[in-house]
Parts: sequence; structure tokens; C-alpha cells
Amino acid sequence: MSTLKSIIRRVISSIPVLIGVVLVIYLILRILPGNAILTMMGEHAREDVVQQISAELGLDKPWYVQFWVYVTGLFTGDMGTSIKYHKPVSELIAAYFPVTIKLSVMAALVAWAVGILCGVISAMRKDRLADRLGMGFSLLGISVPVFMTAMVLQYLLAYKLKWFPIQGTKEGLVCYVLPAIALGWSSAGSVARLTRSTLLEVMGSDYIDTARAKGRSVPGAVVFHALRNAMIPVITVMAIQISSLLSGAVITETIFSLPGIGRLCIDAISGRDVPLLQGSVIFATVLVIAGNLVADCLYSVLDPRIRKEG
Amino acid sequence: MRKHLAFVLVLAMFMSLAAIPAYAAEEEKVLNLAAESDILTMDVALTTDDYFIPHNVFDRLFEIKVQPDGSTEIVPSLVADYSVSEDGLTYTFKLVEGVTFSNGEALTASDVKYTFEHLLTVPGACNYDIAQEVAGAQALLDGEAEELEGIVVEDDYNFTLTLEAANAGYLAELTSPAMSIIDKETVESVDGFGMEPADTIGSGPYIVSEWVPNDHFTLTRNENYWGEAPDADVVVMNVVPDANTQNLMFQSGELDIIDLDALDASIIDSVYKTTYADSIVPGYRVGVTFMSMNENNEFLSDVNVRKAVQMAIDRQGLLDNFYGGDGIIQNGMIATGVWGHNEDLEPIVYDPEGAKALLAEAGYEEGEISFEFSLDSSSGDTTAMVYQQIAQDLAAVGINVDIVSYDESAWLDFRRTEEMPAFIGTWTMDYNDPANILGTFFSNSTSGRSLNYADQEIKDRVDAASSIMDDDERMAEYQAIEEAIVVEDAAVVPLYERAHLFCIGEKVESFVPHWAGFSNFFVRDVEMK
Amino acid sequence: MALFRKKTDVISADLASQIGESEGLGVQLRRMARKNKLAVASAVFLALLILAAVFVPLLSPYDAVNGDASIRLQAPTAAHWLGTDEMGRDVLTRLLYGARISLAVGVVPTLISMVIGVALGVVAGYAGGKTDYIIMRLADVMLAFPSLLLAMVIMYTLGDGVMNIFLALALVGWASVARVARSETISLKETEYVQAARSIGVSPGRIILRHILPNCLPALIVLFTLNIPSAILSESSLSFLGVGVKLPNSSWGLMVNMGRQFLYNAPWISLAPSAAIMLVVLSCNFLGDGLRDALDPHLNNE
Repeated sequence: MSTLKSIIRRVISSIPVLIGVVLVIYLILRILPGNAILTMMGEHAREDVVQQISAELGLDKPWYVQFWVYVTGLFTGDMGTSIKYHKPVSELIAAYFPVTIKLSVMAALVAWAVGILCGVISAMRKDRLADRLGMGFSLLGISVPVFMTAMVLQYLLAYKLKWFPIQGTKEGLVCYVLPAIALGWSSAGSVARLTRSTLLEVMGSDYIDTARAKGRSVPGAVVFHALRNAMIPVITVMAIQISSLLSGAVITETIFSLPGIGRLCIDAISGRDVPLLQGSVIFATVLVIAGNLVADCLYSVLDPRIRKEG
Repeated sequence: MRKHLAFVLVLAMFMSLAAIPAYAAEEEKVLNLAAESDILTMDVALTTDDYFIPHNVFDRLFEIKVQPDGSTEIVPSLVADYSVSEDGLTYTFKLVEGVTFSNGEALTASDVKYTFEHLLTVPGACNYDIAQEVAGAQALLDGEAEELEGIVVEDDYNFTLTLEAANAGYLAELTSPAMSIIDKETVESVDGFGMEPADTIGSGPYIVSEWVPNDHFTLTRNENYWGEAPDADVVVMNVVPDANTQNLMFQSGELDIIDLDALDASIIDSVYKTTYADSIVPGYRVGVTFMSMNENNEFLSDVNVRKAVQMAIDRQGLLDNFYGGDGIIQNGMIATGVWGHNEDLEPIVYDPEGAKALLAEAGYEEGEISFEFSLDSSSGDTTAMVYQQIAQDLAAVGINVDIVSYDESAWLDFRRTEEMPAFIGTWTMDYNDPANILGTFFSNSTSGRSLNYADQEIKDRVDAASSIMDDDERMAEYQAIEEAIVVEDAAVVPLYERAHLFCIGEKVESFVPHWAGFSNFFVRDVEMK
Repeated sequence: MALFRKKTDVISADLASQIGESEGLGVQLRRMARKNKLAVASAVFLALLILAAVFVPLLSPYDAVNGDASIRLQAPTAAHWLGTDEMGRDVLTRLLYGARISLAVGVVPTLISMVIGVALGVVAGYAGGKTDYIIMRLADVMLAFPSLLLAMVIMYTLGDGVMNIFLALALVGWASVARVARSETISLKETEYVQAARSIGVSPGRIILRHILPNCLPALIVLFTLNIPSAILSESSLSFLGVGVKLPNSSWGLMVNMGRQFLYNAPWISLAPSAAIMLVVLSCNFLGDGLRDALDPHLNNE
């Protein structure tokens, strides 16, 4: 009961954030210097034409009136019409987002699998070679630009070894493996480091030191027991990853030609399609908020202390 | 939870691996192609770029046929018989009988008339230049007429078409993809013409069966096609923005024809001209790549400056270093392969010292001249390199240019304002007649090209030339005009006509590229093994 | 309750109070230098890179903009240590000129976001109540955006240009700084000396400047070092996607973008700037870790 209550409270508390997100994007695209309508038409657009177009799009009204119209539209699922595709933005997003979801989920699986594995190995073999290798591997993931990993994987595993398709989504889930690895590796580092430090904390360094002093490695069962407790902060970090996964998805979708939200954003930018850009960024952000919400809820379910406090 | 994660991951891997073999075993002849960007519409009235569907799913009244010797000829397609009046104004057409659209409806004269009206009146129309030449088009555009007066339907198969002004090249214009004939009943009755595959009905050799935006679209053979059946059963056009990825796909057999246009010369040299030397299909992008010089610009309004720019650019160096020498240097705008091309036009000589001397003589100090050189950032890496090299060449004679990059649409909008000082453009011929390029850039109806060509007499002569009915006389006039524009006025810097190479894979027996080197070729010209 | 957490939250909130007043920054840094060789090596590498970027016109005989197209795409030789690029320019020279923009993109927006973030975070933490609520909800909003997408949108609105990249990345980055600054401030506010100062009527401005900011400094230095790599990576991603630095300017991201199509026949063009990005990011991370270990004894459980 109290869990349900805290979940509901969390959902409610994210509503002002949601409104803020829409407002911020709306303002950035309309109020910052370099008026987006002017940008849409090129900076040398004739003044009378700009005014005419602005009037057609209702942009001559005060911004808060336009904002109200846009927000009330959002509640009915109306995100405007794409200038480039001549289709409702909501329809385009509905067509593109499953790709991004599949990519992000698989990348998250990679990040968590690699990150937790590296973290556990490093913790078990603290200060030995395996620890350094594990930490080095995950730190490298943070440091190598995603596009480089993606291009090298595409070349080696898809082109040279032919294990995976080079691009596109036609061949099903297998198409997402390489983009997911490229994307996931970059997020694995923080998961690995956190897993390692929380594991060490939970197990107690003294215990490991003793075990090692006796010439034994740390028993797996102990690690697994500790891992269970160590998972709680890790879940929080995973939620943070959603945001960076969506950022990285823009790049991997470009390199592997996946038709997802990231490509839609790039398309919207190169086509100066303000409604589409606005819609897809807002949608991506809603995904982040939702992901955080889920993580928060999981967190409160998993950790009794939080539940009590909440 | 951990175990579940691992399990799901392993399961996902297996499921995806299992999906591969099912894809490979197909009896049909599937032609896999790739394009750099997705089409935005299948309705040719709304685009001047997306011609793959119009070419392969629709038919036109006339087509251009490439002869074995490489020359081109205009041949009737949907037209069985035609005649032109003495004054060149009225055309009488008889359509081929028995042609049906893929939904079984007959293709009739009223569909042709509707096509012209659709081109002019559909919201967002942008491809109406040719339709606009028909008498009464303006009245229809202005809302003063309900229908296009210049086309009179006699019966299902006979109609006459009257032009506002005589145009000796009009039949050539009718071969343009813009003039693809659409079905009146379909377009009027469905919501999704041009957007939904099922609603986009044509009379051509293929049917659009699937369109997954930004991923791929699929064409399947129209079994009821009235003409000769093409060889490939299924055509899959993959959207692959990255040329490098296309390169990898071709080499691993995922593409059957690759368009080498976007690949760097170094890759074509090291991979294609070696490993695939026998599979390269040569061709030219019939037309010219040129550098514009806006005569509204403070410095470029001076013909001496324009002549100096012409002399300062090492065009052969550009072609050799960035295009692997695959192309032909052009000294005029009527390029090699275009009707009326002039071999004997005075060549533009690379002479940086001469350019310097000319500028000094005209009273300019070194570094005094500077203007913006506007780059469309979507035009490809090689074009960006050519911009940088030209900037370097011009700097060597004391002309400073600032390369400024724009997004494609911002670039177009800027050019439309007539204020863009200089840019590099490539004009590929829509139909094989000099009127196409000279009329676009140097006539009284030229607008939004940021050239501001100032010679009124020449502009009038360009407009008048199209009504000269004698072909030799007309071509002589075009050549005289070209000389005035390029040699005397130095209005542009013609650079080169680029080769447009394709490479065919193991599944393809032969392939004849589009006559003008369009990327949107005709699939019926592909023969499979 | 904060809806969104960034990795910087992991930096202990009560860090400053642990440090105490006794040890100076210099002592702590010297201790780090003794203990953490990797961090020292990283600092040396970064310093050398900055020097090379500043003095490249003296060090290199080649031009950054003009090349010789007839020797384009040449493999590394004695004359061109990292080969030549697609315009026949020396890659190493381009790399060092590009370092100016890439390093500036790492430092300048991070500094701006620190100033904004610290100001707002300290005010929020010190004032509490409605001010706190509004500022922190605004931070929540900024943190909810996938950062690259937000930067893309800002770049789209502002137009191209290096200054605009600075601004875009600063606007994206301030929120996580505000988080840390706020929690530092809240814990410092409860310390005895701040309480004492308040009780004798010292003005809030003076308390913030004299007591709170100096004690936040170690955490902020760590945060600064750790945020630089993400700014560098963001710039390279933006440039790679074609919405960042544009021609004829050059940054490492743009070099990778232009060299991308030569990955298989002239890999040095894109691998060199990629490796440079990687090394700088790694160095900043090592240095940041070293600083954290030195400045925050609480986390020194290794």
C-alpha cells in the first residue's frame, strides 16, 4: 500500500518536469536569437514573407497563447504536422520509435551485462591484473567516441567477418547487435565502476583482504550474495543511462542506417522541420522521464529502507 | 533477476541468428539497390528529386532511348501517333490503345489532361514548369479557369495540346519524369496518392509494394504491364545515407548495383578500378558542374574579376585530384552529350599569373576582393573538398573567399533570395535540349538562382531561340548565346562534366545507366543473370 | 527528492565537511602526485598537448588550411608523421590546430556551466524553500533531456559557430553542477562554523563567499575535470553529425567526420583525431579520479 502511494506520488511529481520540458524546448525553438521560423526560411528571407508565414502558423500571437495551443494539442496527441513529410508528427514518431526502443533496450542489456561482469571480476580480483583489465576495459568504453566504436565494429564484425548485417533493420533483431554493443560499451563503464565500489563496500574490504591473505580467492557465493545488495545503487545508475543511451542512439542510428527517433531528429534539423524536431525531442525526453520513474519505483520496491522513509 | 537478464540476452542472440538463413533462399530475381536518402513523396508533382518511382512505376508520352553508339533519341511511349502544326503551337496526339494502370483502369486522354492539371494545382506543386507552357495554364493557376484550356480531349485516345508559345524542344520536355501520367480516377478517389503504396497507382513496369520510411521501399513487377516485361522480379531500394556503408554492402554482396557517385576517388581507384574493373559501368552525368558568380556582388559585378576567377581555378587539377580524372573539362554550359554542344568553344586556360595581372590592371589590390562562397553541407564530402581547393586557388591570385556551410534547405532559401555571391552547382539535363540549361539560368524567366545575369539582349535571345523551328538554326543560335555568356561576359566558371560510374555485382548481367546519368535509373535497363 | 541523478551525485555529498580546514589544497595535490602516478602522467600529457597546440605554428612547417592536393591521402612518412588528409594537408598539424578548438570546447563551456551551476546551486541550497524548489525543478527539466539532443536543438536555433557550441554545451551542462553545489551547500550550512557565523549576524553573501564556496572548491575541481571529457565528446558527436563545428574551422570531431569515408583506405585521417579524443578523455578521467582520491579521503577505500 505504501509502495503504491509512493509510486503515485512520484508520478505526480514528474508532471511539472514534463511541462517544463515542453516549455523549454518550445522557448528554445522560438525565443532564442536566430528565430527558428527565420532559420527555417534561411537568414536572408524577405521580411514580408516571414511575416506571412508566421501569421499562417499562428506565430504572430503572443508566445504563451501559442504555447497553450501546442500543449492542449499534446494532450490530444496532436504534435503538429511535419513540414518535410507532410504527415502528423505523432504518426511519424509512432513509426520510428520502436527502432529506438529496441536499440536502447539491447544497448542497456549490453551495458549492464558487460558493466556488471567487469565490476564483479574487478571486485573479486581487487588490485590484481584482472581488476586492472576490467576497469581499463570499461574506462576505455567511456573514452572512445561512440562513432569510432560503431565504425570499427561495422568494418570488422559485419564486413570482414560477416557475422552481422552491415546496416538496416530488415533482418530482424540481429541488426541491432552491433549498434547495441557500440552504444552499450560507452555506458558500461559507469555501471562497472559503481558495481565494483558498491560490491567492495558491501562485502567489506577487510573480508577480502583476509581471504587473500589466506591465499584463497573470494568464494562466488559470497559475491553473489553481495551483488544482490549492490544492485540497488546500480539500478539508479541504469536509469541515468537511458538519457545517454538516447543521445548515443542518434549517432549509432546514423552509422547503421536505423530508422529511429535519432534519425528523425537529424532529418528534422537538415530539413528545418521545427514541428518534427520539437515533437521528437519532447518524445525522447518523455522516455527518459518515464525510465527514471520506473527506476525510482523499482528502487523503492527493492530497498526497504527507502520504502519506509517514503 | 540477473539470471533472467542473461537468459534474455542469449535468447535474443539466438532468435536473431535464426533469422538469417530464412532470408537467403529466394527463387525470385531480387535486385538490391541503395540510395543515400529516402524519397519524400511518390507524387512527382511534389518533388524535383525523387524520380525513382516516377521512372519505374509510371510511364510518359515519350521516352529517351540510348542508341548503341551512345547518342540519344526521343521515341514515342504512350503515344501511338502524333503531328505538330506548322506554327509549332498545336500538337495532335493519339494514345496507344489498351494500356491499363496496374489497377486495371484504362489509360485515356482524360488521364493525360488530368496529369497536367494535377501538376499545376496540387497543393505544394513544385514541378510545373513544363505543364505551365500549355495555353491556359496561367488562368488555371490564378483560379480563373476550372480546367486546362490548352488540352482538348477528343475521345478516349485522341487529344490536342496547344502551347502558349512555340517550343521546338517540347517533345523532349515531355520525356521528363515530371510528365509521368497518373490515373485520374485513382488520384481523385484515394487519400494517400504519393504517400501510400496501395494508393499510388501507375501504368509502369513496377508496382510499389512496400515503403518503410527511411529504411527501404520495395517494387514488384507489374504482371499486367503493357510493354516488355523487365528482368528483375523484385527491386529493393535500401536507404543507406553513408556512402561508405554502401561500399561495404556492395563488397559483401548485399547490393547488386552500387552508385559510385558519393565515393571518394581514392576508394574507386583502390577498390573498384582494381578488384571490380570489369564490372564498372561507365557513364556521364550529362550536364555541367559550374561555379556561379553573382553579378549583384560588389566585386563579381566586374567582368574583369569574373574573368580572373575563371583563369585562377585549376580545373584539371580538381578533376584529377578529387574525381580521379573521371570527367570531361567543360568550357561552356552546353555540355558534352547535350544536343548542340560546341567542341570548338574557346578554352578557358588555367593562368594564375594572368589572373593576377588582370586584377592589377583593373585596379584591385591583393586581398581587396573577398566574397562568400556558400556550401550546401549536404552536397557531399568531395564537393566540400572542391570548395576548399578553389578557395586555395583563388587565394593564390589574391582573391579571398569565405566558405560558409548551410543546411540544404537554408542554402536553397539563401540562393532563392538572389543574394548568394558564389556557389558550385551541378546541372544535370532534365531533357536533352540546350533550352533546359540556358532557359533555367539565363532567360527572363530565371529566378532564384543568385546569378543575376545582367545582359538583357542575351536573355531575350534565349527566350526567342526556343521558337526557332529549324533545328540547325536553333542550335547555332544557342551556341552563339553560350559564347556570349561564358566567353564574353564570363558569367560563370564552367568546370567539368563528371563521370557517373556504377558497379554491378555478380547477380547482374548488364546495366544501361540513365541517358543523363541520373541516380534514379530505369530498372528495365537492368538484365539479371 | 531528486528525480534524476547524474554520475556526479556519486561524489559524496558530505565531502567538504570531511576535508576539514586543516589541510591545504597544495598538500592534498602533492599527496596525489606521490600516490597516483597515472594522474600525474595525465596532467603532464594534457599540459604538453596544450603547449603543442599553442606553439604549433612554430613547431610545424605546414599550413593548417592550405594543402597540396597532389599528395592527398598519403600514409605516414618521415615528412608527414601522421600522413596527409583528403586535401593533402599534414594530419599532425591539423590535429594540433584542431586541438585548440577541441580543448577550448572542453574547457570554456564547462567553466560557464560551472559558474551558472554553482551560482544557482549555492543559492538554492542556502535559501531553501520556494527558491530551492524552482531552481531544482528547472535542473530536473534540463537533466531530463538527452543531452546530445538538447545540444542539437540549441545549435539548430543559434546556428553554426564555435561560440554557439560553447553556449549550447554550457546550457546543457549547468544542471548537474547545480545539483552538486546545492547538496554541498546544504551540508555546509549545517556545520558549526556556518551556524556560528549566522548567529552573530554575518550576511548571507559573506557566508557564501567566505565559508561555503571555498569549502565547495575541492568537489567542484573534481567535477570540473570530470565534465571536460563529456564536453569534448559532445562536441565531437555534434561535429560528427554535422551540426557542430563547420568548415573551414576544424575540430577533432569534424576531422573524424571528414575522414570517415577514408576509414578503410586512409584510416590515419579519422583514427588520429579519434585517438586524440580518447587520450584526452582518458587523461581527464584519470586526473579527475586522482583529484577525487586526493581531495576526498572518504572515498579512499582502495
